[in-house]
Amino acid sequence: MGEVPEITPKALAAHLLGYLNLEVDILPPLKDPVYALNQKRLQYDAGVILKAMESEPFQDYAKIIGVLDLDIFVPILTHVFGEARQGGSYALVSVYRLKRNSDGSTPPLSLILERGAKVAMHELGHLFDLHHCVDRKCLMHFSGGLEDLDEAPLYFCRYCSVFLRDAL
Amino acid sequence: MEEKMSIMIVDDEEIVRESFLHWFEKTGHRVDAASSGFEALEKLEKFPFELLFVDIKMPGMNGIELLGKVKEEYPDTFVVIITAYGSIETAVEAMKLGATDYLLKPFKPEQLSLVMEKVAYQRKLVSEYEYVKGRLEEITRFDNIIGQSPPMQDIFELIPEVAQSDSSVLLMGETGTGKELIAKAIHAKSRRAHLPFIAINCGAIPDTLLESELFGHQKGAFTGATHPRKGFLEVVSGGTLFLDEIGEISPKMQIDLLRVLEEKKIIRIGDREPINVDFRLISATRRDLEKEAAEGGFREDFFYRINVIIIQIPPLSKRKEDIPLLVKHFLEKYSHETTKRVDHVTSEATQLLKDYDWPGNVRELENAIERAVVLSKSRTLGKEDFGFLRTIPSPISKPRSLREMEKHYIQEILENCDWNVTKASKILDINRVTLHKMIKRLNLKRP
Repeated sequence: MGEVPEITPKALAAHLLGYLNLEVDILPPLKDPVYALNQKRLQYDAGVILKAMESEPFQDYAKIIGVLDLDIFVPILTHVFGEARQGGSYALVSVYRLKRNSDGSTPPLSLILERGAKVAMHELGHLFDLHHCVDRKCLMHFSGGLEDLDEAPLYFCRYCSVFLRDAL
Repeated sequence: MEEKMSIMIVDDEEIVRESFLHWFEKTGHRVDAASSGFEALEKLEKFPFELLFVDIKMPGMNGIELLGKVKEEYPDTFVVIITAYGSIETAVEAMKLGATDYLLKPFKPEQLSLVMEKVAYQRKLVSEYEYVKGRLEEITRFDNIIGQSPPMQDIFELIPEVAQSDSSVLLMGETGTGKELIAKAIHAKSRRAHLPFIAINCGAIPDTLLESELFGHQKGAFTGATHPRKGFLEVVSGGTLFLDEIGEISPKMQIDLLRVLEEKKIIRIGDREPINVDFRLISATRRDLEKEAAEGGFREDFFYRINVIIIQIPPLSKRKEDIPLLVKHFLEKYSHETTKRVDHVTSEATQLLKDYDWPGNVRELENAIERAVVLSKSRTLGKEDFGFLRTIPSPISKPRSLREMEKHYIQEILENCDWNVTKASKILDINRVTLHKMIKRLNLKRP
């Protein structure tokens, strides 16, 4: 959605195929979701974007992940890396806050893409009705900040794997 | 696996409630929302939410007021205060009132995560504390005798004094008043506390069997006595023997026990050698043994031997001020045992329980609470949950004087006849003039 480097959705799709063995298509980009811009916060409301996506159903696809390079938020939180409705069909992944480390330094592209892939797989987990997991070594464990996200693995714990397999 | 919590979001802004709901859906916790403090209190009455996120600025009842009410009514509920307008003063006030934490909207995802970890940790501590407390209560079961009424306070003061001596104690009280609990309390506070406490219900055992149970027997003493066996008087060695329903034992057994109490020796059935025994006797009865002894229905010498100290336990109907305390105790017990969170009783229901006469005493009250907790679909027990108590006809349970009954009945008939004296006198089958006289004598007045 909007201006996102071509490599980003490609890398995310490759991770979903490689780790979850899911068939993934990359669709033509949508326009910038200017309708979701909150003038007060100068951020984009993730809930509003998801609602807009829901109103334009994408046929032939079980789940849709929107990839953007915009600062997204939900009303109670300062920001989110991604957003999805539990058991829903649409999710968002934003690389906006993944491109800069907490200390202000710029991470290598490979790390940015790995972070994006983790967020995408985590949100996809929610779309398949997986809840947050208490196991810190599980991708469904909640990552509040970039440090947590970097520590998170690219795989699910054995319980979440079973739940995901059942859902697939 | 993390235990799931029941969470309620209380905020007047729909967008905030929705945002929270979506967030917590992803965690697997049970989550609900209320748009005002009043709605939150209504929902709390019906369901035991464990954690509340409460916005400070709300119309009607603000978050701090709600926090105060929640902590007063449901002290175990965790409350996290959320606000868009942060001030140190409100934060301090909220924490003083018992809030678990304080979040400034919008908050960082990791802050919410930390709050949840903190709540989970405190919840774990509370549940561990409850477990240890439960274990301690089991160990010191005598502390389960509940009551703040003057007669119960007298008993509580008496127990440690009585426990210090070795004299025989007779507990008198109706069935279900907690005689065995008091016997156990005396034992637990005595120097014999580390030795056995043996309770025998004399009314439940046939006399011949009771003899063998108490004194034991030698091999071949009677048909079926294939092995020698120690009796309870021997087994109790050094401890306390509690004989419940002592009024039920036969005159022969009274003589045998009297001898044991005097000589501190027993002879097993079928044996000749006396065995030294050492025990403290606590007996209990619901009968008026003094009267029976005076009338010859119970051995007088045995009666005076077992009643060196008498403790009269009042029936529940004579200490109704203890009912709310007992109800609270049994609610905690059965909420814990049944894992159903039922922790409130409406004031109407409490009044109903206080009005009832409890012929079965504390035991009946305990059973009533257990039944109500098991069948309740809400966390608060109401009047309707105790509907089964009304099946007991009240005139029997509330004895009145003949004059009172007469006054009540005539008043009722007069009211049914709209105070038409001629009509009422026909129903009562008395002369009209007589009825007029009775109205005057009984001071009956038209409402």
